[in-house]
Amino acid sequence: METFLLDWSILIPLLPLVGAIVSGLLMTGQRKPAAHWPIWIGVGYAAVHSLLLLYGMISHASAAHGQAVGFVEPYWTWFAAGDFVIRWGYFFDPLTTVMLCVVCGIGFLITVFAAGYMKGEAGYFRFFAYLGLFIFSMTNLVMGENLIMLYLGWEGVGVCSYLLIGYYYEKPAAREAAKKAFLVNRVGDFGFALGIMLCFLAFGTVSYFGEGVGTGTGLLEIAGGAREGLTPFQITALQWIPFLLMLGAFGKSAQFPLHVWLPDAMEGPTPVSALIHAATMVTAGVYMIARCGTLFVGNEAAMTTVATVGAITALLGATIALRQFDLKKVFAYSTISQLGFMFVAVGVLAPVAGVFHLVTHAFFKALLFLSSGVVMHAMLGHLDMRKMSGLKHVLPKTRWLMLIGCLALAGVPLLSGFFSKDEIVAAAWHRHVALGAVLLFTAFLTAYYTFRLYFRVFEGPQLVPTTPAEDHHAPADDHAHSAHGHGHDDHGHGHDAHHHNHEPAIMIVPLVVLAIGAVLAGYLNFPVHALGHFLDQSPSYQQTEALAHSLYGEPEPTDPAAHYAFMGISAAIAIVGIALAYWLHLKDRRRGEALPQKAAPISRLLEAKYWIDEIYQGYIVEPLRWIGRASFVFDRFVIDGLVWIVGFVPQLGAFVLKYTTQRGYLQGYAVTMLLCIAVILLLIFGLW
Amino acid sequence: MNELVLQHYLAVGGILFVIGLIGFMTRRNLIVMFLCTELMFQGCALNLIAFGAYHGNLGGQVFTIMVLVIAAAEASLALGLVVLLFRHKHTLDANAWRELKG
Amino acid sequence: MPLSDPGFFGGGLLAQAVLHPVLVLVLCIVAGIGTFLLLPSRREPATRKIGGAIALLALLVLGAVLFRWAAGSAASAPDAPKLNPYFWIFAAVTVIGALRVVTHPRPVYSALYFVLTIFSTAGLFVLLAAEFMAAALVLIYAGAILVTYVFVIMLAQQSQNSGDQPLAGLAEYDVVSREPITACAVGFALMGVLLFVIFDRPGGLPPSATGPFDTRALGETLFSRDLLSVEVAGVILTLAMVGAIAIARRRVPVSQADRLRETQPPPQVADNPHTIPIYGTDNPRQKAYPEA
Repeated sequence: METFLLDWSILIPLLPLVGAIVSGLLMTGQRKPAAHWPIWIGVGYAAVHSLLLLYGMISHASAAHGQAVGFVEPYWTWFAAGDFVIRWGYFFDPLTTVMLCVVCGIGFLITVFAAGYMKGEAGYFRFFAYLGLFIFSMTNLVMGENLIMLYLGWEGVGVCSYLLIGYYYEKPAAREAAKKAFLVNRVGDFGFALGIMLCFLAFGTVSYFGEGVGTGTGLLEIAGGAREGLTPFQITALQWIPFLLMLGAFGKSAQFPLHVWLPDAMEGPTPVSALIHAATMVTAGVYMIARCGTLFVGNEAAMTTVATVGAITALLGATIALRQFDLKKVFAYSTISQLGFMFVAVGVLAPVAGVFHLVTHAFFKALLFLSSGVVMHAMLGHLDMRKMSGLKHVLPKTRWLMLIGCLALAGVPLLSGFFSKDEIVAAAWHRHVALGAVLLFTAFLTAYYTFRLYFRVFEGPQLVPTTPAEDHHAPADDHAHSAHGHGHDDHGHGHDAHHHNHEPAIMIVPLVVLAIGAVLAGYLNFPVHALGHFLDQSPSYQQTEALAHSLYGEPEPTDPAAHYAFMGISAAIAIVGIALAYWLHLKDRRRGEALPQKAAPISRLLEAKYWIDEIYQGYIVEPLRWIGRASFVFDRFVIDGLVWIVGFVPQLGAFVLKYTTQRGYLQGYAVTMLLCIAVILLLIFGLW
Repeated sequence: MNELVLQHYLAVGGILFVIGLIGFMTRRNLIVMFLCTELMFQGCALNLIAFGAYHGNLGGQVFTIMVLVIAAAEASLALGLVVLLFRHKHTLDANAWRELKG
Repeated sequence: MPLSDPGFFGGGLLAQAVLHPVLVLVLCIVAGIGTFLLLPSRREPATRKIGGAIALLALLVLGAVLFRWAAGSAASAPDAPKLNPYFWIFAAVTVIGALRVVTHPRPVYSALYFVLTIFSTAGLFVLLAAEFMAAALVLIYAGAILVTYVFVIMLAQQSQNSGDQPLAGLAEYDVVSREPITACAVGFALMGVLLFVIFDRPGGLPPSATGPFDTRALGETLFSRDLLSVEVAGVILTLAMVGAIAIARRRVPVSQADRLRETQPPPQVADNPHTIPIYGTDNPRQKAYPEA
């Protein structure tokens, strides 16, 4: 491992931050069209550096022959309060480098795409500044060597998410969605913060590995040590810490019951949806649980909870996605569902599978989101699949890209999603049959809703919306400013798709790269478990596994034959799902439209998203609002009244004094002084 | 042994002081107002001298010298100010200076 | 203690005082009324004379009571020297002169009465064996300060045509005093308190020791023990001189607008309490909160 790569790793977050500052503060006005350059440079450098780190880490890991590899790179003491010393430092192990490559690599592709997609926007520089800030926060989150650094990144990405969801702040829906995301995340982050505090209370440190791997000075190594070596308080704390940390993960990764913010977050620009709300930020919870596995694994109830919540979320997201018509909403629920898969993976002690799925999912979900962004771009802001059909001639390149993404998501064999999903399902089945069954059913639903979308939008008779969507924002406006030669008015009247390039290279090239990734990422771990072996050399994994073995005994070795059988079942399920979608939504669409009427209650339930928002509204928001109203009335009439009286009494006094003593006559003041002297003399000598 | 005791002098000094004070409060002519402060100085000086005699030392007289010095300094400055104020408003009326009215 | 009946005002120290509190109260009220009537105003001259008589009466009563007390204590000590008449004369001249300083409408007369007061106070100083102070007082006040006052009066006093009327040729602010009732009430309340405090114990406080009070002793004290005071006094006088010169040199620019304003009547001052807005927190019921 080249040390200079580690030494200079601070540049990974720093350059995007500098880029964000430059484009946010300097790239205004005339320079606005160049606002993407600082971010391109910053994030591009971060991506290159991450890839070099990954290469170095791979060579180092292969030289270590299965031993744990991890490097602590402390830079300086961030702050210190008594024993509570927090270093600004980074930790590098296989998990970190993989996450870094995902964040910076996909981040870079998406910034390239965004330069085309957001072209001509009024807030172009603002958008890129937020993106740079996001990369800064996310890399800190991934690279931080302690929980406080993680928390810094955690809150940083939360802020960026808030800012980017509310990017179109003129739109009430965007504002509301941003607020909702922020508030729901607060619920989770509250638990997360408590968990970090409890970690410090119990173990005296929040650094993962302290002075280095194997020194026994870090939180994970202390907590992962033998149970006999722990104090009773530490044992008790270990019962609570996982649940508290889990709350944060559920909030950030949109797991049931805190998943409600993610679908609304689609109000943000599509590149943001792809980057933050599909590929990177929402996987932070998975990363955190994978990183802190030793804190979780000791508590079987916590692991079960994670897996169960993951399975519930996976099923919930997939079922809701069945009855969504908005492209981005479908993918949003799909993301929730896939995140549920990842949580199941980390919950059943298969974090490698979870991170594997995280990587493949990042590729194909980013691809899907960006493709739907192209669709939205071309369809004048429309995303409703009922208003469009047969776009394969209008958007020929996008059609193929979308198809690749859909196949990967649906879990069709030989594409990335198939392998990663399959590993999770196998691990879940191994743990408990019910978990596996739920995930298999979810996989079936996933295949169905994915191809429902694809068949409806890209196949069948051509139907192109001709009027811009009501809340249609800049994405199509920028065509008017772009060099394509067509004014905006052309869109409104006589829209001619064939003469208009809806698929500029700047948007298609990143998609092609992502599509290649979506196809090939699965082979990272199949047929050779390359990624798995690499990740297994992460100290976090090794200690988690060691602890799990000491607590629950050696796991039964999985039967390779069973694994292959499983693959067959998964593949069959995916094919069946796609076939069903074909039968209902392409062969004869009337059948697909008649189905909801036949099962009206279920359809209504799904369309209402299980009324979860309404339940929150009715049982949490409204009571709080009533408390707020009561407080408002109390505040207005009681507190304000008191304050008013406090203010009024001196005013009254002043008013009285103004017309009795304070008249500006010099001698009047002398009179007052004299009176006081007389009273004081009387008090001193006369009466006492 | 004098039949006159400290209290007699103190009473005269106090009366002098209070008369000066009343004058300061009632008269509107700036010059007379300063004259009245001089009266108050007289009352104080008389008290100091009487106390000095009562205690049998010269501290009272030394203090009185200080009082006289202050009175002289005050008179020169105050009268200069009075002239200055008079140039501003062409009146000696203290009520003309009410800019500090609350 | 002629008027202090032990059973009259309750017993104890209060009733043992030389001047009974009630007497002090009555004297102060009477003197206050007298002074109020005597203060410059547009009343009939006769009224002011009556006021002067009342104030004089109160002063006489006070003097009589104190004289009786002094005589009584002198009588109880057979070997005491006879009563010192100079004190009474000087005291009376001092107080009356001071009263005239305050009540005379013409500033020049006030200054002259002030000279009278100075002289009689100097006499009192002599009685207290402070000859040097008496001389210094006369020199500084009567000689220096008063001359300055008279000069300033001549500089600043508007000389109007004098007529036969007693108040003719006087400015408004000399003729009409400001809030005489309040000032008299408060002032004589203070005087009552002072007298009460001074005379609140039965016995007199005779001088305890007689030291060398002559001028030589004073000089030696001043230039040995209290040298710093002398230096400070010198510095203060220097500063006052510099300040006075600086103040007197200042030119007051009179702008055209000021000249115009002087010729016109002064603008009406908006001091009607009902029209002046009160700033700050308003009534909360008028506050416009954004509705939830």
